[in-house]
Amino acid sequence: MIYLNNAATTYPKPQCVQEACNNFLQQPPTGQFRSAFDESVPDIFTECRKKLGRLLGIKEQKRIFFTSGATEALNKILYGLGIPASRTIVTATEHNSVLRPLYNIPSIQGTPVIVPCDRNGKVHPEELERYIKTDSRALVVNHCSNVTGCIQDMEQIGSIAKKHHLLFIADISQSAGCIPVDVDGWMADAAAFTGHKSLYGIQGSGGYYIRDGISFRPMLFGGNGKDSSTLLYNQNIYEYDAGTQNGVGAAALDAGTGYLLEKGVAHVQKEEQEKMRYLYEELSRMETLILYGSAEENRGPVLSFNLKGLKAADTAYILQNSYGIVSRAGLHCAPLIHSCLETGRHGSVRISISEQNTWKELEQFVSAVWEICRAAG
Amino acid sequence: MKMIEVTESRERCAEAGWFAYDMIFDEPMEKTFIRSLETIGESFVFLEMLKAPFFKLEAEHYMIKGVQGERFLRMAVHGDYPEELERVKGILENKAEGDKMNQ
Repeated sequence: MIYLNNAATTYPKPQCVQEACNNFLQQPPTGQFRSAFDESVPDIFTECRKKLGRLLGIKEQKRIFFTSGATEALNKILYGLGIPASRTIVTATEHNSVLRPLYNIPSIQGTPVIVPCDRNGKVHPEELERYIKTDSRALVVNHCSNVTGCIQDMEQIGSIAKKHHLLFIADISQSAGCIPVDVDGWMADAAAFTGHKSLYGIQGSGGYYIRDGISFRPMLFGGNGKDSSTLLYNQNIYEYDAGTQNGVGAAALDAGTGYLLEKGVAHVQKEEQEKMRYLYEELSRMETLILYGSAEENRGPVLSFNLKGLKAADTAYILQNSYGIVSRAGLHCAPLIHSCLETGRHGSVRISISEQNTWKELEQFVSAVWEICRAAG
Repeated sequence: MKMIEVTESRERCAEAGWFAYDMIFDEPMEKTFIRSLETIGESFVFLEMLKAPFFKLEAEHYMIKGVQGERFLRMAVHGDYPEELERVKGILENKAEGDKMNQ
């Protein structure tokens, strides 16, 4: 099996992540904020926050909160800020984890302002600025498209957000771990990430950062082991980590983040970009293949394509069942970008690599696509 | 050849309003069986040049696809026409048994 669906979940995980999960489960559970078994054993949540802070450029590491993934993180951010969807600007590259909360959370629901992207998935900052209205209050931007791998200029977009006094929310689900991220440098007020993609954590882990000083209401209330006698939170001073946290998820995320800090995200990015360049070059030689993007414009480890004469789902089915190559077909939970790409309701075939993919695997993939092109052409 | 199981596919196609099922046979699908399906759809594609040949047929409310040599095929039914599943399943069962008789 050749796994090229890393934008969904990375596989395989580094050995240290597997060991961290195993080790965590063999240790007696240390309480969160209470009854620490052994003071010499570091609290995994604090350790993980420190590493995430370093990796993602977040100084206020205590303001990183863990969730089950980016979907929960974005729901909590959007609900917690309480800004009406109609006063929120998003881009056409956004994932449903941004769009569906805006359209459906009762307290904010409405239609957000949508900034289009070009055929590569690029959102042009000057065009984005034109969509800001006098009553706009928040801006949500997907750092790296999970459909085309296009990376947005978050620094410039962050400056625009500040200039117009917008809260800037960065969705770094697809980029964290494989593309340098600098949440503070971008002047982002909030950021959402998932653990199971390029951070090499496990499914069911992730989190968000919310800058201190922003009015932010928790979505969940409950026990957290701190000051249990308080029932009503006063003066909008809340806690955001209700309930027992996902310890094994944090252990895996801590190990994955540690692995990346040691290896260096820039190094990972370079390695993946070389492989992506090879894929773009090879696929662009096929006459019956439509590529959505180029190696120059699309620098994330994701690319989308279609074969003339075959629906995306059929191409992915053939890759999987005739060649044992795992890809993904469809809209990739990002429905709006497809009108910009002109990929229609059937979407695209998506290939996404991790630095764990070998050159041989990529060569086998290219060879399979050649064969399918010839057969279908 | 006999159909031995129908399961909801893990790849549900629900995003586009279709619901997919995997139909599992007791033997690998041969070319005769695949060719016999040509008559039940509105369009039929059979990429025989592939090492593992792919086939697909489409009708207004359902779609079937699979690979020669595998023991399963995938059928997707439009959400507004769930009754098509049982009807087409019956046709496929007959075709599968006919395939064996023809061999």
